[in-house]
Amino acid sequence: MLNEERIILMTRMAAYEEGEGKKNVKIGNYFRSDYIAVQVLKAVICAALAFVIVFGIYMLCNYETFLRELYTMDLFVFARDVLTYFCGTVVGYGVLIYVVCTWKYARAKKSLKCYYHNLKKLNSLYNEMQ
Amino acid sequence: MTVLLELRERLKLIYSKYEVFILPLAKFFLAFVTLTTLNGRMGYMTRIDDLRIVLIAALACSFLPVGMLVVFATIFSLMHMYALSMEVALVGLCMYLVMYLLYFRFSPRDSLVVVLTPLLCALKIPYIVPLAAGLLCGPSSIVSVGCGVAVFYLLQIVTDSAQNIRTMGDEDALAKVRMMVESILENKAMLVVIAAFGITVLVVYLIRRMSVNYAWTIAMIAGAMTEVVVLLIGDLLYDVNISVGGALLGSLLALAIAKIIEFFRFCVDYSRTEKVQFEDDEYYYYVKAIPKMTVTVPSKTVKKINTQNVQRTPAGRSGASRHTEEPAGRRVTTEKTAAEKRGNGSRQAQRPQNYGGERRNGRSVTIGNTYENGAKNRAGNRSNGEQNDDEWL
Repeated sequence: MLNEERIILMTRMAAYEEGEGKKNVKIGNYFRSDYIAVQVLKAVICAALAFVIVFGIYMLCNYETFLRELYTMDLFVFARDVLTYFCGTVVGYGVLIYVVCTWKYARAKKSLKCYYHNLKKLNSLYNEMQ
Repeated sequence: MTVLLELRERLKLIYSKYEVFILPLAKFFLAFVTLTTLNGRMGYMTRIDDLRIVLIAALACSFLPVGMLVVFATIFSLMHMYALSMEVALVGLCMYLVMYLLYFRFSPRDSLVVVLTPLLCALKIPYIVPLAAGLLCGPSSIVSVGCGVAVFYLLQIVTDSAQNIRTMGDEDALAKVRMMVESILENKAMLVVIAAFGITVLVVYLIRRMSVNYAWTIAMIAGAMTEVVVLLIGDLLYDVNISVGGALLGSLLALAIAKIIEFFRFCVDYSRTEKVQFEDDEYYYYVKAIPKMTVTVPSKTVKKINTQNVQRTPAGRSGASRHTEEPAGRRVTTEKTAAEKRGNGSRQAQRPQNYGGERRNGRSVTIGNTYENGAKNRAGNRSNGEQNDDEWL
């Protein structure tokens, strides 16, 4: 005999597993600190790459000026400025990703908690049938 | 209104029935329009400016994930830029890479906005993008919309400066790069449009989340007004030659489309709003419940009365046939339409706990509840498990 409540629950759970659940289960496999650390590390690498690209374009555009002023400018100050911008970009982006990932992890865990609660409920429905 | 609601239900039924065909077709159409527009506006590489190649790419996009459309569009635009000049392609590639590394790596779903924004900008109807993004997405879509606008202006800068770039020789490689970068950075129109669209997305999002009646309508009107005002202010400050008439007409059109989106996504009956207040050990709850407006599609019951005694009954196209054979050789077959069957099923699945129903003019009206108040979640979590179930859906 078909149990309507069970079917509805199973349909909802299947839809969740196919959509948002897939992503959340992946997140849920990590410990909080591990997940955030991995994401921040990836973000730092990406931010560094993006900075290198932008800096490369900047240098390409100001190539002639840079060569002209190479012997007159203070290279130490120039390097310090570049490093400051680099650190600002990477740290700023890293902090942003840290905040986003913390929120994402909390949301995924909350969502998975509901999902596991429903799994238990489904299990109890099966037990009732038997 | 009932007619519109019935139409919506019918459209939903049709979509759920033919989803397998409609989705790939929509993706194919979107990819075809995107790539054709791209070829039409740029078209520097004649080898890919070919209908057959566009069709093959669009066909591939129809069964691949939506993100692949972005990849195809990026490749097409880069190839056109490369055909014009390698330096231009380099600048384009750098811009795409920065966008990917800093944002779209985390939210690949938003990449569709980056395709739709330049496409609609090219079709002169970009004003719907921030309204739709504010209504349907979160505040993070500000970045997506901004990137879309940046991509549109990048492509426009390339097409505008194509003549100059062609006249420059190979020895002017650095000059080409400098010209491209300066054109992008000093493009005030791009900055004004990005600011206008970003502020609009934020305004629409914030207002539509408010617990006030007609929040969606207020949000879209406020958003359209904000869009026009910010564009006009930008035009006054930076003299970017934005057409006032075009912006007004575009905003009106955007409002109409946003209203259609609202009808399909958030159709509620504010006249039957209920406000309840209760408490438990830890909290006081102020809950506002607004019923959704839904109707079931009216079903048709066809009775076939045969005078001949037929042993085997023909299978009805819509199934669910019930037949009774009578000794006198008369057989009555009752067929119900698929809509009726599906309607009942889906209604059962969507029915909330405090389901209520009424009949109006022979049509069954189902009432579900949409909770606007943030307290609802807490109330739901503590009061019963069923509310909890809806949280992850």
